[in-house]
Amino acid sequence: MKRFKSIVVAALVAVITISSVAPGLMVAAQSSASLSIVPKKNYTVEPGRTIKDTLTIRNLDADAPLELSLRVVDFTYTDDSGTPKLMLAEDAPQTTWSLKPFLDLPETVTIEPRSSKTVDLSVAIPANQGAGSYYSAIVYASGAPEGGNVGLSASGVTLVFTSVPGEVNEDLQLEKFGAYNVAKTGKEAGYTFLSTLKPETMAYTLKNNGNVTEAPVGTITLRHMFGQEIEIDNVNPNQSLALVGQTRTFTACIKLKAQEVEFNGTRAQSTQCATPDLWPGIYTATINLFYGQNGNRTQEITGSATFIYLPLWFIIVLAVVIGFIGYVAFRITSKVKSKRRGSRKRSARRR
Amino acid sequence: MQHKFARVQAHIFTWNHTWSEMLLALVLVVLVIVSPASAALRFADRSLYIRDVTPSATTDYTVSWRYMSPEAVGSVEMLFCIDPIPYHDCVPPAGLDVSGATLSEQSGETGFSIQSKTNNRIVLTRTPTMINGLGAVYRFDNIVNPSTTTQSFAIRLKSHASIDASGPQIDFGSVKGQVTDAIVIETQVPPMLIFCLAEQVEDNCAGTNDTYYKDLGTLDPDTTLVTQSQMAVGTNATGGFAITANGTTMSAGVNTIPALASPTESIAGQNQFGINLVENTEPAIGGDPEGDWENAIVSADYGTPNQFKFVSGDLIAYSPNVSLMKKFTVSYVVNASPNLRAGVYSTTITYIASGRF
Repeated sequence: MKRFKSIVVAALVAVITISSVAPGLMVAAQSSASLSIVPKKNYTVEPGRTIKDTLTIRNLDADAPLELSLRVVDFTYTDDSGTPKLMLAEDAPQTTWSLKPFLDLPETVTIEPRSSKTVDLSVAIPANQGAGSYYSAIVYASGAPEGGNVGLSASGVTLVFTSVPGEVNEDLQLEKFGAYNVAKTGKEAGYTFLSTLKPETMAYTLKNNGNVTEAPVGTITLRHMFGQEIEIDNVNPNQSLALVGQTRTFTACIKLKAQEVEFNGTRAQSTQCATPDLWPGIYTATINLFYGQNGNRTQEITGSATFIYLPLWFIIVLAVVIGFIGYVAFRITSKVKSKRRGSRKRSARRR
Repeated sequence: MQHKFARVQAHIFTWNHTWSEMLLALVLVVLVIVSPASAALRFADRSLYIRDVTPSATTDYTVSWRYMSPEAVGSVEMLFCIDPIPYHDCVPPAGLDVSGATLSEQSGETGFSIQSKTNNRIVLTRTPTMINGLGAVYRFDNIVNPSTTTQSFAIRLKSHASIDASGPQIDFGSVKGQVTDAIVIETQVPPMLIFCLAEQVEDNCAGTNDTYYKDLGTLDPDTTLVTQSQMAVGTNATGGFAITANGTTMSAGVNTIPALASPTESIAGQNQFGINLVENTEPAIGGDPEGDWENAIVSADYGTPNQFKFVSGDLIAYSPNVSLMKKFTVSYVVNASPNLRAGVYSTTITYIASGRF
């Protein structure tokens, strides 16, 4: 009997223990969705050579491990910006610029809470591979949750660009150039010809007809109708790229405000557009762009554009001045007319 | 008498025209022949090949171009600057050193030797000789590459009739170059992208409530079911970040609640599924982005209060450059029509944070 009692008590203790620990186990089983990754990698690899590198991934979660599956997918452009369009479908066709066949990395990785891990990565370019730009994306996917009506899953992506040196086909065409309003929350970006607000940004849209990604450099000069001159000496401060086939809009601040910021324990330089010292009136802008891969022809693009900056206060002052001039002119004309009329009447009376 | 006058007049008239025609011809000759010879032209087919593009490496540079103006050339100035524009002030690329350069090979237009050199300037000289019209190639050994990979640089080229790069230029032009890391240098501060997601997250991703799914309750034609989740993101990468929302609409077996393909207001009694990233009043759900950093913004289609949309793969938030941590609240709305088939409707939305190019 005593033995039976002790068995029952032990069973109860076990049940209580398991039931109290079980929720904890369920939480632990759910992967973390807090990660830190490298957003972009650039390599230059000659045909026949292999480059070995590492990717550092951090799990920011304090409790749950980060369980990631790694997958290489191709990507292209979404629009004229730098947002990648990932080709996530399993049956997505391989692009001509795909890095997939040359990229090697593990399929899964588990990282303990609040720790990091480095993952080996290699890029092997075959000896007969032609020169050009090759790019794909590494997707780090955390597991999908089970249960509920709306489930959340987080993934991070590293864009990997590899340049294979040699003779390439480079062809950029300037499609648009002018003053530009950048996107704000809820508002789309776009070129502007007439603005009542000070334009802070100049932009140029280039179509890449070549077989390599391009990052043009150069300058933009703004000239006011009364002689003011402003120079933008770095038209591609972020070294943004026009992908193969993309029509890309590059933006450059008319006045740049650079500041040192602390990001996750490291110092980084952040650049933002400051309000430029523009005068009201007509501005003529000229652009000089240069591009060309190592060993290939340096090519030049030039263009010009016009924009008008008319602030509201200026329009009001102008209207008041014009109104005043009109009023004075009217009064003078009226006076002259009335004088003439008076002299005619006087001469008529004399007759 | 009248005939005589007419003849004289006709004679003078003809002479007048002859003079004007001669004058016009002279002007044209001056324009066609003189002006091209005096105006500087751009070198054609310019290129630069750096054998080893590693920062700070000592390597050789091969520079080539084609002289354009049919004139005798006695010297060429090569000025190494960040900016390729010839009339701008020259800022030398950090770390570059051409003071030890030697001219090891030349072809096409030959006979040159190095007359002078500094850290960022080389002057080639020869006895002034008429150009032969061939493309010219020059190889310089022992050049130390710039140390930074974040900026390209240029070699500004100018030809002169003099032997010391003085006096008026004949042709000009720039070639572009850039050094790159084949493999990331360990000492460099690596760019990173931080991203976290849950029902509730802390601003800096230091913690979340570890809840990754939500029960919405029972669908009802008179009620809009709502919920929200949060995500925080930041990057020190100059290219910024992009977040896309990916997944299918809510479904129960083969039955689905259609997602809103364009920004639309929430209407109870109609089959709708959508999200946005701002504070809403109808229904009262969500919150505006939190964080001082203005760079990180919500995409136009997902940034209007009381307007919801869901298209898989859409960009929902992004930053064009460095952005400190910013927290976004995602609102979800689900509406059902009276004839929606019974079932447990669910979906999983995958938020993908990536760098930009």
